[in-house]
Amino acid sequence: MAPNPKLRARIAEMVHRSGEGHIPSSYSIVDVVAHLYRDVLKFDKSNPNWPERDFFILSKGHGCAALYVVLNEVGILSDEAIDDYGTSWGILGGHPDMTTVPGAEASTGSLGHGFPFSVGIALGLRIQQRKNRVFALLGDGECHEGTIWEAAAVAANRQLTNLVSIVDWNGSASQLMPIDDLPAKWKAFGWRVLEADGHDPEELSRVFGPDSLLSDSNQPLAVILHTKKGSGVSFIEGHGTWHHKIPTEAELDQIMKELFE
Amino acid sequence: MTLRNEFARTMERLAKVDKDLVVLVGDISHGIFRDFAQENPMRYFNVGICEPTIVSMSAGLSRIGMVPVAHTIAPFITERSFEQIKLDLGYQNLSANIVSVGASFDYAQLGCSHHCYTDVALLSHLKRASVFLPSNLREFDVLFSKSYRNGGINYFRLTENAHGIHIPELEPGRICKVRDGEDLTIVALGPQLKSAVAVADFLLGEAISCDVLYVHTFKPLEVSEIEKSVKKTRRLVTLEELSMNGGLYSVVTSALAGRFLFGSLQFAVGDFVHGYGTYSQLCERAGLGTSEVVSRIRKLLI
Repeated sequence: MAPNPKLRARIAEMVHRSGEGHIPSSYSIVDVVAHLYRDVLKFDKSNPNWPERDFFILSKGHGCAALYVVLNEVGILSDEAIDDYGTSWGILGGHPDMTTVPGAEASTGSLGHGFPFSVGIALGLRIQQRKNRVFALLGDGECHEGTIWEAAAVAANRQLTNLVSIVDWNGSASQLMPIDDLPAKWKAFGWRVLEADGHDPEELSRVFGPDSLLSDSNQPLAVILHTKKGSGVSFIEGHGTWHHKIPTEAELDQIMKELFE
Repeated sequence: MTLRNEFARTMERLAKVDKDLVVLVGDISHGIFRDFAQENPMRYFNVGICEPTIVSMSAGLSRIGMVPVAHTIAPFITERSFEQIKLDLGYQNLSANIVSVGASFDYAQLGCSHHCYTDVALLSHLKRASVFLPSNLREFDVLFSKSYRNGGINYFRLTENAHGIHIPELEPGRICKVRDGEDLTIVALGPQLKSAVAVADFLLGEAISCDVLYVHTFKPLEVSEIEKSVKKTRRLVTLEELSMNGGLYSVVTSALAGRFLFGSLQFAVGDFVHGYGTYSQLCERAGLGTSEVVSRIRKLLI
């Protein structure tokens, strides 16, 4: 059984009900987002803007259904907000809006924006001599964008060790312009690189544990996660038609069956 | 002393009292920022040649309460980086100050890649943006100091071709009357004030007197002074080294449309101006030379 079946079920229900969403892209990151909020990030659920919080920026904004269900699980986002996903009266939609969504640190959607934005936050925290950390989650397809590499060079040059880049290497890029060796590219840009299975709780604990995060290195950390689009439901997995497909009633039943069997 | 030098001196002065001020530059102006960098090593960053990222980083700095000042060459920090300005600053409701050099034909010798005349229109599309064209010494210092913490997106477009006319009372958004006349209203944007005054002086020799109004703040633009003048003269001429679309002429004629009848002439940049030369030569090629302006105005007056 896939990890986090309840979160995956919630995502599928949201997308089915609203007719909007990217299920496979959300399934490839839901495990790491859940792990970060459960075990790594400092936050105050009653005050999402708590000054001492860690910043989590979903640079690949189209995976936001995963962020929404995790924010809901940890008590930052209400059940009502989830129920109203994709409606004209709700606050949640196909990409996050930081001006309305509690816990959303950035309004992403256009790829290549959230990561350099994170670099600015990390630099500002350094200037202000604050201890907060910044975690930015990128897609491997997003790594086609030039601003990712501009920002990667700047962060390494400024030794922003309060910044962690997490790359969801689900193979999206390989469909059109493969990025063969993502870890080598991040290393070449001056980052310390760790790799892990992005769906394995033990592996996630390892790469986001104190031994990994509290390094003496003056390089920022890039965590490259080997993931699968649509992970957890066999017929959604991969790069086929499910990228932006809305499940029918029957397909939703099938998804639930696979998730909880 | 240039406006760019004045910019650096203003940053030095403000940084002494404003601990949130951070300057990011895109590999230009290091020389004039040497003192600033020495005094404020943690608030001066030569980020490199990556203008979109400089804008996104500015948004990130703003997100945690810093007051960013992003500085580099106009077409790269505005036209190239417009999506970052639109989304990271505009959509996210964050604030930053963008200070550019290389306005219009300031880099005349470097060709069209370094010309910039759509930046003002682009920025003005954003509701929370203010757009300033300080075009003489002291103007940047006054306009920046009064605006840089207003919580919006402030664009300051520096020129290397100062108009050289002292404007006694500078207030963001306020239009300044530089000449009094009866027959014609000339509204000049930024550095084109110099040309406007030359045109007005020339026409005075032909017994045509002009109101000359100076616009240093494109947005917000208070048009009441222009309306008052055009109501009197019924003839409007706009002078701007910007694209013909979405610039001063568009804004002013839209604002006055339907209120009363008046004739109007637009002097602006129609398209790429290929070739090289000086600022004045390229302005002439774009149709902004004094003799062409005077000649076309005569036709309006016939």
